[in-house]
Amino acid sequence: MGHGKWDDNAYAAARTFRAAKGIDDFGYTAAVRNRPRHEWRADPSMDPKGVVARECRDSAEHADSTPIAVLFDVTGSMGSVPKVMQRKLGKLHGLIQRKGYLADPQLMFGGIGDADSDRVPLQVGQFESDNRMDEQLRTIFLEGNGGGQKSESYELAAYFVARHVVTDAWRKRGRKGYLFLIGDELNKPRLEAKHVRRVIGDDVRQDIDPVSVYRELERRWHVHFVLPNQSAYYNDPEIADHWRGILGQRFLKLDDPGAVCELIAATIGLEERVVDLDQAMVDLAEVGSAAESESVGKALVGVGAGTLAKSAAPPALDGPDDVTLR
Amino acid sequence: MNGHVIVVGLGFGDEGKGSVVDALCHDGPPVASVVRFNGGAQAAHNVVAGGRHHTFSQFGSGTLAGVPTHLSRHVLVEPIALAAESRELAALGVRDPLGLLSVDAGALLTTPLHVRANRAREDARGDARHGSCGKGIGETVWYSLLAGARPGDVVEHQEVVGTPGAAPRVGDCADPAALRRKLDALARFYEPLIGAGTSVAELVSLYRDFADAVRITRGDEVGRLAGRGRLVFEGAQGVWLDQHHGFHPHTTWSTTTPANARELLRGRPATVLGVTRTYQTRHGAGPLPTEDPAVAARFPERHNATGRYQGAWRAGHLDAVLLERAVALCGGVDGLAVTHLDATGLKVVTSRGAPPEDMPDPLDWFARRHPVLVTGYGPDRADHAVLATGHGPDRAVRTCATIGA
Repeated sequence: MGHGKWDDNAYAAARTFRAAKGIDDFGYTAAVRNRPRHEWRADPSMDPKGVVARECRDSAEHADSTPIAVLFDVTGSMGSVPKVMQRKLGKLHGLIQRKGYLADPQLMFGGIGDADSDRVPLQVGQFESDNRMDEQLRTIFLEGNGGGQKSESYELAAYFVARHVVTDAWRKRGRKGYLFLIGDELNKPRLEAKHVRRVIGDDVRQDIDPVSVYRELERRWHVHFVLPNQSAYYNDPEIADHWRGILGQRFLKLDDPGAVCELIAATIGLEERVVDLDQAMVDLAEVGSAAESESVGKALVGVGAGTLAKSAAPPALDGPDDVTLR
Repeated sequence: MNGHVIVVGLGFGDEGKGSVVDALCHDGPPVASVVRFNGGAQAAHNVVAGGRHHTFSQFGSGTLAGVPTHLSRHVLVEPIALAAESRELAALGVRDPLGLLSVDAGALLTTPLHVRANRAREDARGDARHGSCGKGIGETVWYSLLAGARPGDVVEHQEVVGTPGAAPRVGDCADPAALRRKLDALARFYEPLIGAGTSVAELVSLYRDFADAVRITRGDEVGRLAGRGRLVFEGAQGVWLDQHHGFHPHTTWSTTTPANARELLRGRPATVLGVTRTYQTRHGAGPLPTEDPAVAARFPERHNATGRYQGAWRAGHLDAVLLERAVALCGGVDGLAVTHLDATGLKVVTSRGAPPEDMPDPLDWFARRHPVLVTGYGPDRADHAVLATGHGPDRAVRTCATIGA
């Protein structure tokens, strides 16, 4: 995994050729949704069940790999946002690399649903740095349901990343990865053991406090939650309070969901201290994302440099579990 | 003008071949296909039709008139740029542009590796640039000539740095294993020059999508197309950039004379139409004997800017010596297409070193030398006329009614 380089032009060309032969960006979703609901399932390459670990490894070509995981909410309250994500995220790798924010970014994409009501509440791909990313995005099933109780299973996704992702960046260099959750609702009040068993396959017998999952996760990941406009709860203060309580300034509101790549790239550029906010905006305008850069500027305005300290090398690489059982 | 037509530029490119091909496709008898017989993604043929403008690069200039394009085996095909061009055409309202395309399996493939190598070399030349477009054309041809060469050999004045493999061709795109082998060899070969470039795995997958999206032909496709109706052979660049006849090193690695088209036609008769402006132009470095900055200043170019790799836009008086020699290099022409006839106050240089003379009636000047079969007075399709009979020195035969209009 994780060999090769990504190139925006090649990505666009592949899309053009696929479109010419009638394969659209949402082909997998269309094919699955045509089947009866009880047959809906994640593509085997995206199914977290029984996965020991998704790996982000160094290679001869990419000696300084940095993991970036982007998991977006694919439920109905997100409106058309998941489709925008599926289309836009393919250019993220090129953007980060071209601007020199990271030498060897490796990306993993995934979809988040509702474990109480969805057939496919969690999908996670592999870390890639070439056009397999694009395939991964197209293979994410946009289920579109959700429960309507203003919460989705973000904590289930967080748990997977905390417990089932292994990165050389952390193991060899003590460097955190980047996790972006994109959604518009609250965490479930508890991470239910039965969901962990059913969806991921871990033999967990007690429910877990979601906040403690994020605490564990943050030891190895810079965790961000992005609330995009055009989703149901964009202006709901309860959502903002909930996520700020867990992630502080890493809760980001994005008024143009089409600017998601630019937001993620700029956030990483800032975090890596490669650029300041002004320079990030200039960079984005330069790559033709002038309109997007405005949205990004607004989203990042509250992020101060004080929060951007890099983690020191960890005392014990894989550390003890520190989740709080309920 | 009957039968097939070979359109060839009599200058240094930018003569107006695109608008002439468009006019032939729009105004003449039905055209079965435009056939490209040289060059590659570096071609830039401007067509303006009723408010729509497109700079054709790999698609034939008959596309806005709805005519399919065939890229013959003499063309260098660059799929990534081709996809971008198809998106531009779709944005102009052309339905399914890739569906209008067929490509000969034997055509050489220009890859991002060739493009990077081309730019690396041209950058290294500094002030001694050749005026390359930076699109990997020369590199694609050069690599295809290396069969059997060893590191240290000199092929076409360039040292061979590694061990070359067979050149990737369009037909390989449908065979991932073969393509991978060729691209691996190509990537290894160019690594000393450009480092680790685009990943081979990515290219294999991309080219497979390309092979699925366009029709790849084998055998005598031109013969099959000729059976369906008129073919218009669209030349790229001009005779004075020809690899054998141009002023080295400011040439393109391409046969710009009608030779390739004639070979594809296998003896079928065709009208050779030489395209010329009413004045001389050139992009980038190289000789332009009648150059006069005042001419460039008088006729600003809407669609020709200075290219980073190609260099500045230049212009001069019509060069009668070069024009007649270009006609001779084509083995004669059956007629001329004269563009930019709306330009006024023109001069012509009739012998080397002579001062420019006034040319009060350009159409008359050209028609005294060769029959004028197409006239172009402006940038738009509406300003071009395909003449039923040639316009000779006798004004009586000026029949401007367009065929089929």
